[in-house]
Amino acid sequence: MHIRVESLTHIYAQGTPAERVALRGITLEIGPGERVGISGPTGSGKSTLVQHIAGLLTPTSGQVLLDGVPAHARTPEARARRHQVGLAFQFPEAQMFELTVSREVAFGPRHLGLNADEIAGRVRWALEMVGLDPESFAERVPFALSGGEMRRVALAGILALKPRVLILDEPTAGLDPRGRADILARLRAWQAETGATLILVSHHLDEMAGMVDRVVLLANGQVVADGPTRSVLGDGYRLRAAGLSPPPGVALLEALRAAGWPVRTDVLDIEDVVSEIARWFFNHKDTKTRSIINRSF
Amino acid sequence: MSIPFIQTRALEHVYTAEDGRSIPALRGIDLTVHRGEFVALIGPNGSGKSTLARHFNALLLPTAGEVWVDGMLTSDPRHVQAVRQRVGMVFQNPDNQLVAGTVEEDVAFGPENLGIPPTEIRRRVDEALEVVGMTDYRRHPPHMLSGGQKQRVVIAGALATRPDCIVFDEPTSMLDAEGRRQVLQTVRRLNAELGLTVILITQSMDEAALAQRVLVMDGGRVVLDGPPEAVLEAEELDGLGLGRPYAAEVARRLRAQGVPLPRGLLTVEALAAALQNI
Repeated sequence: MHIRVESLTHIYAQGTPAERVALRGITLEIGPGERVGISGPTGSGKSTLVQHIAGLLTPTSGQVLLDGVPAHARTPEARARRHQVGLAFQFPEAQMFELTVSREVAFGPRHLGLNADEIAGRVRWALEMVGLDPESFAERVPFALSGGEMRRVALAGILALKPRVLILDEPTAGLDPRGRADILARLRAWQAETGATLILVSHHLDEMAGMVDRVVLLANGQVVADGPTRSVLGDGYRLRAAGLSPPPGVALLEALRAAGWPVRTDVLDIEDVVSEIARWFFNHKDTKTRSIINRSF
Repeated sequence: MSIPFIQTRALEHVYTAEDGRSIPALRGIDLTVHRGEFVALIGPNGSGKSTLARHFNALLLPTAGEVWVDGMLTSDPRHVQAVRQRVGMVFQNPDNQLVAGTVEEDVAFGPENLGIPPTEIRRRVDEALEVVGMTDYRRHPPHMLSGGQKQRVVIAGALATRPDCIVFDEPTSMLDAEGRRQVLQTVRRLNAELGLTVILITQSMDEAALAQRVLVMDGGRVVLDGPPEAVLEAEELDGLGLGRPYAAEVARRLRAQGVPLPRGLLTVEALAAALQNI
């Protein structure tokens, strides 16, 4: 699905004392199968933007086009496209209500009017996709599961809709480090298998770095950066200006650079951060040793 | 010098599931937290951290064993009120903990419920808002604030009941970087400047590094207990999938490549300084 956001402005409670401008004329395009991160401080407009992409809000001005059709329109074409956009809010398990895991995951597909065999097949597939064994989980009560398992069930419910665009708002919030890493790995595998568009909304730039190829940075309802992951997340100065903390590797390399080490700072993967430091450390040590030798002769 | 404030003896807690099954959450915890300590509590999801914390202010009572808070047994019904006044709780989501129409009414909610006279409430509210740096927002509606500001109002509300200890249950997990910074700075101030006993439950090894003492839970037991420099680099953590603080992980990999770095470098600042001084 091709997503085009055109001069999108959104004003909450317009004309009241509580009026707040959330988006100020945003324009951007997201192509089919792209993996895009959206970040920005609280109140920057991230959630408003993705709700527009999912067709849940009506623009104050401008529009969002899904394959050329306005996302919020009340037409069958628009509705069909909205059905292909899956949006997982923060803590999606808070919206679960069915009494078994399989009914919970089947809820969405049932409303798509699929037949029973197709629904059962999707439930199995989606549970496997999020790492829950259908045999042992299908008949369990969702609310008796652990926090991490509930999150997986909620995500499975969205994957079972087979969205062509999946929007995730802080999908790992509240999970422990192992649970976070596992969910992200499964979402990467899902994206690789389906070739769907992945839009990840997060404050955790370190997590985002390994998930997306492009990052859009919002501040105060406007796009302040949009580019390859490395150039946006590797720019600590711009991130701080937008009210975000740079990934820790970038902060570390910046501190060394400020101390006179000529290291690159736009390095995101921990292994590359280590190589960058080791390379310059050993160079530096060699010159030190050489200068001591020179002096002693 | 160090006065025990919270003590648990052979504490066990068993939940009963809807289908009647017993789910043991705490399996024999013997622990002493001293007055004025800053303790981080870490462990995988389901390891019992939040269950343990809820015993510290009698929100839960032991299935077996005992919990003492400031010399009072939590399972004695006569003490419940006093225990809850000694130990405040701050949870993950500030939106679930804010109840009033303005910031100052929200902060006054706790002391009002304790039947404190209005002039005293006024003083406590002003003090608490000052401590968390939210005085300028006292007449604002809480829902218009940022996440970090809301969580600081929640903390002010806990402070206004004059506790000796505050238990923070993942207070930053729903906040952005700036909100996290604000809340952690406030947590450190409460401990360093007001001398409050602080227990911080967190999923972030980088946050745990701020504490004086780190407790690691797994399967309902405390499996490691010590200063962050010792605990957060322990080999045992690998098996729990908790990872290390970012700086400690970089330092470990650099040591493996022959860079002579000491252990115990838990923050990016400490690692950068150590690298420059080699």
